[in-house]
Amino acid sequence: MKTMNMSLLATVAWVGLTVSCATTPPAQLVEARTAYAASNNGLSAKLTPTELHDAWLVLDKANQEFDQHGDTIQCRDYAYIAQNKVQLADVKARTELDRQKIAEAVKAGVVVRDNQVKSTQAALSSTREQLKSERRDSNAKSEEIEKTAEQLATEKQARMTAEARLAGAMKDLAAIAAVKEDSRGLVITLSGSILFASNKFALLNTAMTKLDQVAEALKAQGSDKQMVVEGHTDSQGSDRINQPLSLNRATSVRDYLVTRGVDSSKISAIGMGSSHPLLDNRNAENRANNRRVEIIIQPSHLSTR
Amino acid sequence: MMKALTMSLAILGLAGCTAVQLPADRLEKSEASIRGAEEVGASGVPAAKLHLQLAKDQTVTAKKMAADGDNRAVLVLARAESDAELALGLAREVSVHADAVRATEDLKAVRDRGNP
Repeated sequence: MKTMNMSLLATVAWVGLTVSCATTPPAQLVEARTAYAASNNGLSAKLTPTELHDAWLVLDKANQEFDQHGDTIQCRDYAYIAQNKVQLADVKARTELDRQKIAEAVKAGVVVRDNQVKSTQAALSSTREQLKSERRDSNAKSEEIEKTAEQLATEKQARMTAEARLAGAMKDLAAIAAVKEDSRGLVITLSGSILFASNKFALLNTAMTKLDQVAEALKAQGSDKQMVVEGHTDSQGSDRINQPLSLNRATSVRDYLVTRGVDSSKISAIGMGSSHPLLDNRNAENRANNRRVEIIIQPSHLSTR
Repeated sequence: MMKALTMSLAILGLAGCTAVQLPADRLEKSEASIRGAEEVGASGVPAAKLHLQLAKDQTVTAKKMAADGDNRAVLVLARAESDAELALGLAREVSVHADAVRATEDLKAVRDRGNP
């Protein structure tokens, strides 16, 4: 009985061992299953499903082989191939991810470059506008300079014309009056006898012709100078008579010159009486010289005071 | 009786030694993958190099087994094929990854140029 029990126990153990060996998959199959399960929950399932499916087909063959025939060399071969295919699916998934990164980088690079180009174009456009503006300013300045140059030329021409006119007028004046320059300015001296009758202050007709020439000469002097008409008498007679006579004569000359175009605001008249004789009054000739009208054209620096 | 048995064994022996025909397309594909892996530089990538060598060795083994009439030759060729494809994939991965790193660096450089 004891021997029989021992034999039964050994049989059960052998059967158990045999069954156990038949249901224990080989390491390759376990590893392939584990690798597939991991990949099926990872990147490969999303990026390389076809490759992963190929791996599953081979893994299925390995499983079928194991289920039907146990741990055979064919089962191990299929498991080996399945594991390689799972790994290949993972490798291709990572590669695809890298390719996507490249595509994104290239796309982003294009956007960045486009923006840089736009920015550069905007800066260029701004610089062009600035240059145009500066060119316009420059042209305006050139035009201004040309205008000023033209103005200067016109003024120069006018000055030359005025100087020529003045020279001509002074030359004509020299024929009828004494012209000299002293500390008071340019002094035009007209003899009293050619302007007035004795003790009168009304201008003679002949005087007017000469004063016309004087007026031209005065107008040619320019508008900025002050002029004074001084009346002088000889010493015969009292100051009570001579003073108003000299003032009236100066005023007559001044008023006539104004009628001939001399600026009234620039010319004044004063009577000097006999206080400023040119010569002593001892003889008739000297007294005739002292009876005179002087027109003084003051220098600009005195006129502006 | 003995004679008949001898004849039967001889026939069986001859049948066992009949060469197995490897599928030409599979063999071609495997060898193409090996060449491709070599061209993309698998020899310079340790993991790829290992699978490349395995592919070569197993291709030789498969041919030998086929010549010897071993039916497992087809499966060994399939193993070789899977190793060759994996070697090619690993080598490509390294190359593409290097391109991705370079592209990222280029993008950074372009951005830096735009924002000095």
